[in-house]
Amino acid sequence: MLKTLNQRISIVLILIGTGYLVLTFQLPSYAYVPADADLIPMVLGILLIILAVCLYFSKDSETEEQKARRNIPKQDVVALLTVFGFILVYIIFLEILGFVLITALFVFFCSWFLGYKKHITNLLVSVIFPVFMYVMFTEFLRISLPQGILPF
Amino acid sequence: MGSLEGILTGFQVAFSLEGVLFVLIGVFVGTFIGMLPGLGPISAIAVMIPITFGMDPAPALVMMAGVYYGAIFGGSTSSILLNAPGVSGAVATAFDGYPMAQQGKAGKALAIAAICSFFGGTVSVLLLMLLAPALSSVAIAFGPPAYFALMLMGLTAISSLSEGSTIKALLSAVAGFMVATIGIDAQTGTQRFTFGNVNLLEGLDFLVIALGLFALAEVCTLIINRKDLSQENTHKIGSMKLSKEDINEMKGPATRQSLLGFIIGVLPGAGATIASFIAYISEKKIAKNPEEFGKGSVRGLAAPEAANNAATSGAFVPLLSLGIPGSGTTAVMLGAFLVLGVQPGPLLMTDRPEIFWGVIASMYIGNVFLLILNLPLIPYFAKILKIPRPLLISLVIMFSIIGVYAISFNTFDLYMLLLFGVVGFLMRIFSFPAPPFILAFILGGMMEQAFRQSLTISNGSLMIFVQDPIALSLLIVSLLSFVFPLVRQLRKRKG
Repeated sequence: MLKTLNQRISIVLILIGTGYLVLTFQLPSYAYVPADADLIPMVLGILLIILAVCLYFSKDSETEEQKARRNIPKQDVVALLTVFGFILVYIIFLEILGFVLITALFVFFCSWFLGYKKHITNLLVSVIFPVFMYVMFTEFLRISLPQGILPF
Repeated sequence: MGSLEGILTGFQVAFSLEGVLFVLIGVFVGTFIGMLPGLGPISAIAVMIPITFGMDPAPALVMMAGVYYGAIFGGSTSSILLNAPGVSGAVATAFDGYPMAQQGKAGKALAIAAICSFFGGTVSVLLLMLLAPALSSVAIAFGPPAYFALMLMGLTAISSLSEGSTIKALLSAVAGFMVATIGIDAQTGTQRFTFGNVNLLEGLDFLVIALGLFALAEVCTLIINRKDLSQENTHKIGSMKLSKEDINEMKGPATRQSLLGFIIGVLPGAGATIASFIAYISEKKIAKNPEEFGKGSVRGLAAPEAANNAATSGAFVPLLSLGIPGSGTTAVMLGAFLVLGVQPGPLLMTDRPEIFWGVIASMYIGNVFLLILNLPLIPYFAKILKIPRPLLISLVIMFSIIGVYAISFNTFDLYMLLLFGVVGFLMRIFSFPAPPFILAFILGGMMEQAFRQSLTISNGSLMIFVQDPIALSLLIVSLLSFVFPLVRQLRKRKG
């Protein structure tokens, strides 16, 4: 039943569409409104399901190049997940450690992890960029970024 | 205010010291980001939006427009030197630009690209000046049904013209619209799909979507390809001088494709990418020696470069005069307008002439700046391409995080950014095009409003869309836009 990729994606999309419709039916309705808040979501949910069904039965029309995009070597998958982990840590500590500190740490270690060998250049970039952005945003654009534990 | 007076106001804005300065910043940053492999105008505009907070709308938008066409301009450089187009609109540029670089004529190729881009850009700004006000005065008579039909046509056009499967493009558009329904419903005040989360009450910000689906998804691709490109050597630039023959050869394609590119840019759904491909193919068809195409032909390079820049200004016609973007990039541009509290549309020309005409007038200066900046500076600019991939990746992530944080001051939106980065990457590897998603997300709210206003006028009857002649004809065009891919598919099966 789930031989082709399109069929598998289509099942996921049908599930999403169904979940969306269930939520839509729970929306409160108002009297005397010709087009209530649930009208468009209802149409969208049904459209998504209809299109997903079409996808289920459609033939694969991908080019070789598009197919090649899915052949990701294992070590790259690990690299991707690690970088996403780094970003997660970045977000979690952004308001705690402050923009400058956490960004400098992030840029340095992320570049290092991805294979950048010139540590001194890396250090310079990862200090100068965050400080420059911080000063530009807080002083010139008057948009405050999290100050964190640093005194300035 | 009369039209002439408006134009003068616009030129006043554009030629003021502030105007000139911000055009310069815009095109400079645009060229810079557009040149980086993988980062296109959408990422460039999205990253720059936070910078405009607190600025006056007129200079801010003049700058953002500069970022947009600057990015298209810059995209050609990496196409020519690395055969790695920075933007999809510059893919066709690589067909003949890269062979030229391999032959040691990179300088000449870059000069041709710069001059043709300038030509295409300038011709189409002239046309934009004529067409945008005309369309504005027509569009003022559009009611909600016509507006709804117009936006629907934009969505169906972008889906049917997308690369690959039309079904996938439509799914992408529907999903984008679904994400747009999150938040408080503007008409009844009902909370929709917020799961009781306060952060979702106002819906998701478009920057979260734009930076996630484009910049972060691109980061993922860069991570996977980080080794392929890092060792690549750029070719020597060589002389940038053009011979008389080169110039004679450029004239024809540059003129023809500027006009064609502009028209394609105005049409919804199509943009710089399609314009540049059509330009390349049509020039090849009418050329005396088509076998030269793909081996470093001057015509083959001039055509897509003139067309993609012309299409960029052409895309401003529906954006400024109807308030409706026709592509993913102009959708993000619309976001930039809205962030600054400016609603583009038929009233913009009369209500805010300094913005309407200021943006248009600034494009003349912007194109001149691009030419001046690019011709002597190209050899230095080309060094940007040597930024080590790991550093580039880290810095793009940093810019995306700043971009989102600076509009919401809230880490919740950052988690959403990460989520949409994953979604964008998955869409990429499963060949779901992202532009229909972002266009539907940005049009979603406006479409829903127009649809429900129409039904309120007609007391719930859908007949209003058929009775309004403009709406009816637009709906028919939307339907017809699906016939084209269907025919193409049927032909393929027969063949």
